[in-house]
This record gives sequence, structure tokens and C-alpha cells, in this order.
Amino acid sequence: MLAIHYDSSFDGFLSVVFEIYRQHLDVGDIVPVRPYAAEGAAAPDLFLQPFRVETDEESARRLRRAILNMAGEDILSLLDCAFRSEEPGIEMKIFAYLRKLFAGDSRGYARNPTSDEMLPLFTVARSVRREQGFMLGAVRFGKAPDGMYISAIEPRYNVVDMLAPHFRSRFPNGRWAVVDVHRRYGVCYEGGQVQLVSVDDPEAIAGVERSDEFARMWKSYYDSMAIKERLNPELLKRCLPVRYWKHLTERQVDASSLTIGGRNSEKRGADGLGGANLPSAVARSRSLALGHAGV
Amino acid sequence: MDLREKLNILGDAAKYDVSCSSSGSSRCAPKGGFGSGCEAGICHTWAADGRCISLLKVLFSNACKYDCAYCVNRRSNDIPRATFTPKELVDLTMEFYRRNYIEGLFLSSAVVGSPDNTMEQLVRVAKDLRTVHHFGGYIHLKAIPGASARLLFEAGLYADRSSVNIEIPSDSALQYLAPEKNFDSIYRPMNFLAERKIGYDSDHARHSPKFLPAGQSTQMIVGASGETDLQILRLSAGFYQQQQMKRVYFSGYIPINADKRLPAITSKPPLLREHRLYQADWLMRFYNFRHDEILDESNPNLDVDLDPKAMWALRHPEFFPVDLQTADYESILRVPGIGVKSARLIVSGRRFSRIRLETLKKMGVVLKRAKYFIYHPDTPASLRRLYPEMVRPLLVAKRKPEQLGLFDNYVPALPAAISR
Repeated sequence: MLAIHYDSSFDGFLSVVFEIYRQHLDVGDIVPVRPYAAEGAAAPDLFLQPFRVETDEESARRLRRAILNMAGEDILSLLDCAFRSEEPGIEMKIFAYLRKLFAGDSRGYARNPTSDEMLPLFTVARSVRREQGFMLGAVRFGKAPDGMYISAIEPRYNVVDMLAPHFRSRFPNGRWAVVDVHRRYGVCYEGGQVQLVSVDDPEAIAGVERSDEFARMWKSYYDSMAIKERLNPELLKRCLPVRYWKHLTERQVDASSLTIGGRNSEKRGADGLGGANLPSAVARSRSLALGHAGV
Repeated sequence: MDLREKLNILGDAAKYDVSCSSSGSSRCAPKGGFGSGCEAGICHTWAADGRCISLLKVLFSNACKYDCAYCVNRRSNDIPRATFTPKELVDLTMEFYRRNYIEGLFLSSAVVGSPDNTMEQLVRVAKDLRTVHHFGGYIHLKAIPGASARLLFEAGLYADRSSVNIEIPSDSALQYLAPEKNFDSIYRPMNFLAERKIGYDSDHARHSPKFLPAGQSTQMIVGASGETDLQILRLSAGFYQQQQMKRVYFSGYIPINADKRLPAITSKPPLLREHRLYQADWLMRFYNFRHDEILDESNPNLDVDLDPKAMWALRHPEFFPVDLQTADYESILRVPGIGVKSARLIVSGRRFSRIRLETLKKMGVVLKRAKYFIYHPDTPASLRRLYPEMVRPLLVAKRKPEQLGLFDNYVPALPAAISR
């Protein structure tokens, strides 16, 4: 039995499935190798033999086409969404579905949302899409000195590049970047082009969204909107889970963090550039761009 | 007075307006500008009371000339007054929007001078945003009762949604609490806008302008005057049918003014009643219930212990159990514990395989409620009839256990007859 390692991209996963079929591999587990720590990742299984599969775009493309033919476009996007959840073991769940799909035993299996393999994928994909919709509202841009609007987020699932189409159509003439601080990459929009960028120093970005007068006005407006006779902390936590408060301007408790973002202030002072190193953090990483994203 | 102070005063004055939705209108960013409308609406944050904030909800001014008993901005209250200039408000909206704090602007106002004067200011802000700054975000404008038709019409061209609040659900109580208002003055702008909207909606030419694409909404205060839930639901059903309202909001009365015409200032807001009314409202909008199915003259109020759907189900045992394999979508929707998403999933999944209890659980159906109302092959035939009096105690949430007092159930050791 093999534990197959791959580079944690969706194309990489499709290449793994392709190789499993091509080489008739006996697979025990599929393990992503991520550049960041994932939530709830399991310890490696000692009884499985490690095996590495490199991402191959051609085999991923062929498998995509096969899924399109067998199931349809919406199922492919559903699998993509479920994959983005990065839950431990999600690869094996998708693989179980694909195996039954390609076995072709029962008619209509591909589109049955209540089958044993599909239902968990369906519910996971639903929560990934919900997270994406939530993030459309929870992004808080801050204006960097060079006029770019920058936002740091920490979504539970890997949805940051799914946000790009929305903000591109909303601010078509602007320049903006949304960065996933935890996964150390983001999307950047400039001159009509959306690019995926990797970010080396996410800490530099984290404070920019709460550093101006409008941020302070927004915070005080937010505080005045609550009706004190109806205060309901439990409802608040259900609608707006505590894990997201860190990057929301209006949920910052102390006034000092609203002036200049916490510890970044020292670093900025040392530069003698004020906040000018913030966009340069993005600019530097833009040179490391992963290439044009198809978003 | 600086802008921040004004924003706090006028935001604080607007917070009792419940409407927060930014849905129903999809716009692309206009050429040379920014901002778009999302059909489903986007919530941006939630205030400490758990209500969503999606629009910058402010009053243009809170210097009101009316004296409505229930309102925080009434003439006789001693509160700080402020008024925006259109430019301040436009700048604020655009800066907040660029930072993705809000989905658009919700602009209301107290009546300053005449209704026409006030409406003109509101329209001017919307017009500046749309035509000068090419702003494509969401705009919700209040229609001021008594404003002229020309201004209302212009508001409809720039705004996505408009609303007039009816506030008190019966005409006599409204005139008692708000001497300057009556139903007629509130219905007039509603009907005007509804008629105009029908005219624009029937025109499907590619470049025809939009007129209130997200329709109208209204709001009523619950618990300030003595209406029953039936009266409230009947009124809102009328709004949905006749004025084609998109939403009717309910607002549990919060005692802000000491006034002998209103509940005492110490009374608690009727939050549970408001919640039940919203549940009933959802049944009417998404579950194909009619208002007279939910309540009737013999029981004119909603059950506080049970949600309205379970209440209806217990009054109609002949409708259950529903067989999930064969029943139509509308009947499945009526099962307590099954919502719109689960019902759709059941209908699309049952073509391929049987729906089992485990599957329902994985789908997210609340089996705790649903299990009494669905047909399942495992239950013996003798139990396939619903006994409401047996099921009801199982559905009602258990009270939290209380500490008993030592002498609460004190029985004298000797019967009274002997001790005498």
C-alpha cells in the first residue's frame, strides 16, 4: 500500500488519480505536501510506503475532460470546491467518488447527490461556497500610501482566488490585492489583470487595513449601531465567528491598534518610510509571481 | 461639528430601522466608475446585537418636525441634532465602499421643513452618486410620506430599493401614537412606486432604465400597540400581494421614550414574538403557506413554545406522515425540520436511490422534529398516525431545571382534621 505525496494543488491531485489508474497503484492514502501548516493534519502512517507523484498538466487536463464527459461541469466545480476545504482525508473521499464514477456500475451515479460518496463532498462543497460568500463581505481594504487597496484575510478554506472575479467586476479601474495571510499567497489586480502572487512577509500587510481616519470612523459607526437592549453575544458569534475578528477593522478592541497596526509600527519607523514598505512587500512578492492565474 | 460626530449621531438615530438587505438587484460597475450589485446580497458585518450590517444606514438629518410617540427622533426629545451635507455623505459612502465596509447606502431622514424639501435632499445624494461619481453600489432610499410624485419617481430611477415604514399595524393606533400620520399618507407613496415599477418591469428593452430593481420593503413595530399576530400577518400578506413588497420587517418595540400611550419604559422588547413572526413570514415567502393557514380567528396568536411550522403540523394530523419517496415538493416542505435546501436535495436524490434516515441526517435535516412527521418503512403500521397530544411535549424545548425550595410542596404531617 502506498501513501502518495503530491504538491497540494488540484492539478497535482488530478495527476495523482491519473497515475493511480495508469500504473494500477495500490493506494492507501493521498498526502498533500503544503508549504504551510494545515488544520488537523494527521501524523504520517508508518505502514504505508511513501511515493511521490509530480504534477503533470497534460494528465490533469485529460482527467478533467474525462470528468466533464462522465459527470458534467457543475460536478467538476463541486469537486474543486470540496478539494479547497483542505480537510484531512478529502482526497480519498474524492477518489472514492471518482472510482465509482469511472467504474460505471449504476446509471445516474454521477449526478446523484445522496449517494454515500457524494453526500459528504456535497456538504463540504456547500460550506466552502458559503465561506467564499462570507469572505466577499469580510474583506477589509486599507489604502496603502501608493494608492493600492490591500486586504489581509485568514479564511478557513482555500478560497482567496475565488474572490477575484467579484472584486474585479466591482472595482474594474482600481488597484487592489487580497492576501491569505495563513497560506501566504493572494490575488493582485492591477491594470486590468488579475495575478496570483506569493507573499513572503504577510505580517507587513496585516495592519494596513486599519490605519486611517475612515477606519476609525467605521469603527465608531459600527459601535453606535448596536442596540443595547438587544445585545446578544451568542448570536454575534454564530453569525460572525471569533476566528474572523482578527482582520475585521470594526472588531478591534483597543484604540491603539486602530492607529498603526501593532508591532508593525516599529518596523515601519525603522525604515523611515512610514507605511511605504507595505506595498513594496506586495511588489517584491509580485516578482515571484506564480504566473497568470486563470481567474 | 466634525464628520465623525455627525456620523455617530445620525447612525445612532437610524439604527432602529431594521431593514438591512442588499439583495434583489444586480448591477455591473458603470463605465468609468465602480461598484456593483450582487443579486443575493452580501452581509459585511454583524453588530454586537447580532443584526447584520450591510449598508451604511444613516439619517440625512434627525431634526424632525413630527412628534411620533414611538420614535427616538421626535420633536419633543432632547437629543443632539445634526444634518449632513450631500457632499459629506457622498464622500463617506464612496470611501467606505472602496474599503469594502459596506454594500451601499441606506438613506433615511427625519422630516425637516416640508416632506418635499427632505425628499429632494435624499434624491440629490442618490443622483450625485449615480450620475456624477458613476457609483454602481446598492442604494436604499426612504420615500418620505407626503413628498410629490415627481420626486418619488426620480428616487425610483436612482435607488435599488425604496421603503416607507408603516410602523404601527393598525390605522387607529397609528393616528393615536403619531398624530401627523395616517395609513392613507403611507399607502399613497407605496402604491405610486408599486404602479410605476410594474410599468418599468414590463419593458424589456435592452437599454431601458431600471426602476427600483430590488422593489420595496416596509417595517412594523411589534408590541407597541395591542394588535394580534393574525392582524400583523394579514397586513403583511396584503403587502406581499398588493404592493408586491419584497420584504416586511418586524421590529420588537424597544421602549426609548417615556410616554403614557406606550408600554412602560422598563418593559423588555418582545424578542421571541418578533422571532416567531419572522418564522411565519418565512413560511409565507418560501414555503407556500397562506397567512390564514398559519393563524385564524380562533387562535389569533403564534405559539411561543413552538415554531409556526410545527404548530401548523400539529393542528393538521391528517396531512402526515409524508412519504419522502413519493410526496411532491410542496408537501415535503411542510414537514417540520425540513428546509428548502433539504427538500430540494431529497427531490433530486430520490430519483436514484431510496432516502434513508441516515441520509437525511447527513443532509442536515433536523430529525429531532422531522421524525414524527415522515413515513418510514421501519415504523410499524399501527404507529403511522400522528397523535398531536403525544408529539407536542416531545417538540417543546425542555425548561431548564430549577432549584426547588425545601417547603414548596410542604404537606403538613398530620391531616388537618386530626390536628383540630
